[in-house]
Amino acid sequence: MEKEEQDRNMHILRTGVLSPVKRWSAKWSLWPCHFVTSCCGVELAHAFASGFDGERLGTLNMGISRQANFIIVEGTITRKMARALRIVWEQMPDPKFVNVIGACGQRGGIFWNSYNITRPSDIVPVDFFIPGCPVTPESLLRGVRAVQDKIALGKDETTIKFKKVALPSEVGQGSTIPTSPKRFAPTPLVKVDIPREVDWDFGSTTVNNLKSQLEGLYKSITITDKNRIAIKTAPENLMEVARKLSDNMGIDHTKSVNVVDVPHEQKFILEYMASSYSNNDLMPVIITLFTDIERKAEPEFPSITPLWDSADYSEREMHDFFGIKYEGNAGMNAKFLLAPETQTPLRKDFKLDEENYVFDDSPLNPKIDLPSSLEMPAPTDLYDEAEANDEFIILVGPHHTGSGHLRWILRIKGDIIVDVTPDPGYVHRSMEKIAENRLYIQNVPLFERANISDPFNMNLGYVHAIEKALSIEVPERAKYIRTLLAELSRIGAFFYDSGIFSLFTGHSTGFMYVWAIREMILEATVRMTGSRCSPSFIIPGGVRRDISKDVLDMTGNFTSAVNKRLKKFEDILINNPVFIARTKGVGVVTKQEAIKYGLVGPFLRASGVDYDIRKVEPYEVYDQLNWEVTTGDAGDCLGRYMGRYEEIKQSLSILKQTVDALKRMPRGDVISEEVLGEYKEASEDIKGHLYHAYGNLVLPKGEWTSVIESARGTLLYSIISDGDSNVPYRVRIVTPCWMNLRGIVEASKGERVADFWTIYGSFGYFPPEADR
Amino acid sequence: MQEVINELLETMMSNQVSVPVIQPVIDMAAQMPMVGLGISFILWTPIFALLICPGLSTLGIFLLFFPWIERKLCARIQWRVGPREIVPWLGGLIQLLADTLRFLFQEVIVHKDAHRPYFLQFAFLSFAAALLPLLFINAGDVIAIASPYGVQLLLALVCLFPLFILGLGWASNSRFAFIGSVREAFMYFAYEIPFIIAVLAMVILFGTSNPILIPDKWGIILNPIAAFTFFVGAAMATSRMPFEIPEADQEVAAGPHVEYSGIAFGLIYVMCYEKAYILSTLMVVLFLGGGSGPDIPGLTVHLGDLMGIVWFLLKVIIVMTTMFVLRTIYPRYRLDQGLTIGWGAMIAISLVALAWSIVFVFMQQGGVL
Amino acid sequence: MKKVTVQDQGVVEKTKCHAAAIGVAMKESVYPLTATVQYPRQRKKMPDNFRGYILFDPDKCINCWECAFICPANAIRMKEAPNKKYYPTIDYGKCIFCHFCIDSCTDSALRTTKIHDVAYKDMDEMVTLTEEMIEPPEIVREDTKLVEYLIDDKDLQMKKTREVDNLFVDEVPPSVEIPVVSQCIDGASCIGCHVCEYVCGSGAISSSIANGVMNMAIDTDNCTGCGLCVKECTMQILKLVRK
Repeated sequence: MEKEEQDRNMHILRTGVLSPVKRWSAKWSLWPCHFVTSCCGVELAHAFASGFDGERLGTLNMGISRQANFIIVEGTITRKMARALRIVWEQMPDPKFVNVIGACGQRGGIFWNSYNITRPSDIVPVDFFIPGCPVTPESLLRGVRAVQDKIALGKDETTIKFKKVALPSEVGQGSTIPTSPKRFAPTPLVKVDIPREVDWDFGSTTVNNLKSQLEGLYKSITITDKNRIAIKTAPENLMEVARKLSDNMGIDHTKSVNVVDVPHEQKFILEYMASSYSNNDLMPVIITLFTDIERKAEPEFPSITPLWDSADYSEREMHDFFGIKYEGNAGMNAKFLLAPETQTPLRKDFKLDEENYVFDDSPLNPKIDLPSSLEMPAPTDLYDEAEANDEFIILVGPHHTGSGHLRWILRIKGDIIVDVTPDPGYVHRSMEKIAENRLYIQNVPLFERANISDPFNMNLGYVHAIEKALSIEVPERAKYIRTLLAELSRIGAFFYDSGIFSLFTGHSTGFMYVWAIREMILEATVRMTGSRCSPSFIIPGGVRRDISKDVLDMTGNFTSAVNKRLKKFEDILINNPVFIARTKGVGVVTKQEAIKYGLVGPFLRASGVDYDIRKVEPYEVYDQLNWEVTTGDAGDCLGRYMGRYEEIKQSLSILKQTVDALKRMPRGDVISEEVLGEYKEASEDIKGHLYHAYGNLVLPKGEWTSVIESARGTLLYSIISDGDSNVPYRVRIVTPCWMNLRGIVEASKGERVADFWTIYGSFGYFPPEADR
Repeated sequence: MQEVINELLETMMSNQVSVPVIQPVIDMAAQMPMVGLGISFILWTPIFALLICPGLSTLGIFLLFFPWIERKLCARIQWRVGPREIVPWLGGLIQLLADTLRFLFQEVIVHKDAHRPYFLQFAFLSFAAALLPLLFINAGDVIAIASPYGVQLLLALVCLFPLFILGLGWASNSRFAFIGSVREAFMYFAYEIPFIIAVLAMVILFGTSNPILIPDKWGIILNPIAAFTFFVGAAMATSRMPFEIPEADQEVAAGPHVEYSGIAFGLIYVMCYEKAYILSTLMVVLFLGGGSGPDIPGLTVHLGDLMGIVWFLLKVIIVMTTMFVLRTIYPRYRLDQGLTIGWGAMIAISLVALAWSIVFVFMQQGGVL
Repeated sequence: MKKVTVQDQGVVEKTKCHAAAIGVAMKESVYPLTATVQYPRQRKKMPDNFRGYILFDPDKCINCWECAFICPANAIRMKEAPNKKYYPTIDYGKCIFCHFCIDSCTDSALRTTKIHDVAYKDMDEMVTLTEEMIEPPEIVREDTKLVEYLIDDKDLQMKKTREVDNLFVDEVPPSVEIPVVSQCIDGASCIGCHVCEYVCGSGAISSSIANGVMNMAIDTDNCTGCGLCVKECTMQILKLVRK
């Protein structure tokens, strides 16, 4: 089917008297329909921004499918997105061409055995495949050149030629094939409240306090780590305990809702991780409230949203993954994150494909079933309801210049938005399930791909959880390097969000200016680590290798070189009266609302809550450096953006301080010797010994939770290990964008239609991070 | 029959565009029977204005090269290069030719929900209707129809454009197109009134609405407020930033243009350039002295009427470039903000401009100025 | 704590801001700070540690299978060569260019290149066999200039030189030599299953029976320290120790 369609497109161009003219014009006027799906979209945007300028080749990036004749499919095409891809491809007029970029679109890349991906080559006919993860902008442009050569010259061949060399043929010993390095304990011991001896006086007093307040309602209260308390209750008492915590201790929001499937004990463990924004003493503490319920086909449990509204979307997520019905939560009747036909994939009886380490006759392409139907029905019941109320429904996304990679259902009356319903999950790549099937070190690149505009923070949170579990002390030099990388990442993510915000308000120059600055950050990253956006550089115990002096000089220079271009950006966008008119007073989120809906990060601080994990529970060397937390009290779009802008100035100062400190420090260890064991000589550069040190990492049993302040807010990782397997039992990741999704919905109600995009841009919502 | 032809020939010969430098060639060609008739037909001022300048050919060349100027200039401001590889040593000059040809050979999709006849008709009609106002504007001394109500007729014809956009949106029968058309309808009313008042102010100032009779004085110096109002009104009319409200790419996915593909889209895409061209020509005539310019020794004499045309076109390019470079400077306003500006600040300023003109005329008549 | 408040703009302030914005555009149209690398005619200079396509040297390979085990995307599959050893093949349709394999390879048999811009016609060609990974491949190149980003404390500079970058890194940084060998730490528990002997790729483990007792001997001169026997041992009584 696909080959015929592809041939038909070329046939249109090759026939007729005017064929040379047709081919010449098609070659130089390939307008891509930017079908952005996940991480590769960042590099696609770089390819069309001022760093590489794809427009030179005639490719003007118009987002409308009817006016495009080229589609660059990038990122993971999930089951939900497969329908959108087919529809968009069919909307395009003939003759049209398709390029697939990124490993996800080929054989799945790192998500090869996910339950939620499809292969684009099964859905649309593809002209060229570009490898990479993510592809560099140069390879994307190479793909465009290849399509141009195919149109003009008929040259349809791969642009690389390998030379074959005969392998040694002296027959040697021969050996058997080794078994898989992964080791799963046959009956894993799964307990989330293993006590740990820590030096934490406040913890003991709090535990005693809790014990007296929750008399009779709890089964056990344990200190599992510093700043972590686990309270076990019976299912019927959970709501009561939660209420008491909320009333007496000021616990006002949940950071995560988690479910753990323990089939060999016939139970689910339901967890709520809650904390406080109002009680300063309790701010660093995370209280895990958990209970066991019976493992059935469709278990039910009362929802905690009447008390803590911030748990709403996470409960819907758990419903999708495990099938648990939370009574009282309005979103239980339809799938939130998953495509409708996927069934409770995170239960332990849902198995993913195993790796095959031997090159044999087994099929190269992993077995992937396409969704049963590629139709994407419109929500007609919503339409009827809206008609009755004199309202209008517009579906924004998943392919819309201003929607990002998800669908928003906007209900508008005249020019005012009545309701916004998000439909996320178009980029859900099943990271939590895949993490249960990989070695601990292999999950470092996995979680990084949640957000490659902020990769180092994604690495750092996960690695912190492992280091907490193993009680590893990271060398001083590595701590400074990690702080430097985390701040570089934060600045990079801010410029990413600024660019997208500018685009949403219609200002393409703002986008080009900050993305040119971002090119400088990526240059620093590539010199340090070798990769532009996906470094996977931070590993348990330190970083992969040290940073050389000239790259440190370059990074130090960056902190002042950025000012010239940043000033121009300030003049043309930030102080622009039109921009201020668009953003001032728009989408106000009050302090109470911010806490109630569980907002995080700079968006929480812009509404007046003084909470930054780098000060509340300091990690790395943040407590040794000189910087301040930025807050605001306006809570509108301009306030959120200016708060972040000020924060970036603080980040540049932190960056300078770490660079100076690193230059002063003597070169030394960057990986902790505890984790290296026998291989301690590799402490300055892990090259050659990565597998030896990390291939058989086993975490002690229990639950290990780490929170860090990533670019967009609180990033939470929670690893449950059974103490025996070298593969995690359950990994829970809660990204800041997932928590901020509710904020966009609530801030948009009552605003005008055009404000929706301003609010969206001001929250810096990045769907691949939210959907994980 | 012969009398009719002779009559025709006489009218044509009496009103020819004079270009001294190529006169010998014309005289030689006039010897040949049919060619002579053809050449005198083309050089007949009304036909010259319609076909060559400021009509079809100039419009065509503008549509072919002006987007290139816009894309290159905007790219330069945005720290990048713009189209180049198609002809690297010319800086990608013929990029638009490739785009236009590609549109021509692309499939025109008429989706099944569209109102089929109007869907295609409006696209082609809007292109044709753009030519009508050009009959009333002069490039130097060359004009098609020199009517004493020229400026008003031009304004009335320009007011037709938004109807075509509404028609496009309605015929598309798509949600985003609908929202875009409604926004266009709202904005249309907001900018028309201050725009018309600004033009009226200049008509009062000059004392005539026949474009040929408008003196070569620079209106921008005589009444800068009217010039400012006119410019902002023109930006609103052609959907230039910060008033790109009906076709907001990120909000309503190109509004009325969303369902068009192939040559239909090509024609709609250039419609805003046509509108900009017409309004720029009006701006040049009213505010920038029309086809007047300093005397270049040697050239003015030889080029004759063409000199006026050259100055005219240079000024039009400058005005259009200024209008299109706004895209790099401003984000877009919201609909209600655009309407507030149109109905509020703009009307106030345009009334001030009107008052200024009236005072100016009184002072002139009273001998003060 | 730093509190951020945005003041309302008065009319004078607004006019100044309008003027500043227009001023930036006017200045950039005359002296732009262009930051474009015009690929494909110009190529950006990548550092020597850039993560591109991977090359392989079979003479240095010790058959430890660690590259296949560590690959997070299961892109490396080991293929049997004529000499009965297993060498890696890479599927670039799955490779995520994390270079965990290169960081795991003890003797630097796998090394990086600066090739990253390739377009494949179909997915089958994306699997690169071991025979194709030994010699540097050829790619379609159209660049005549090399652009290097230099950041001084004033601004980003782009140094353009008329040369063609060598995409193959000559100096491969070697990994730290840590000589380890396998050692049996509890010979009494050995059940004589021979798994360690069969999985050893360098023939360093031999078995002999003396007085009805199985003796497994490890020849430390031949042992490469790959650790496969340690992993496969049924009783988990083998350990890697310093030589």
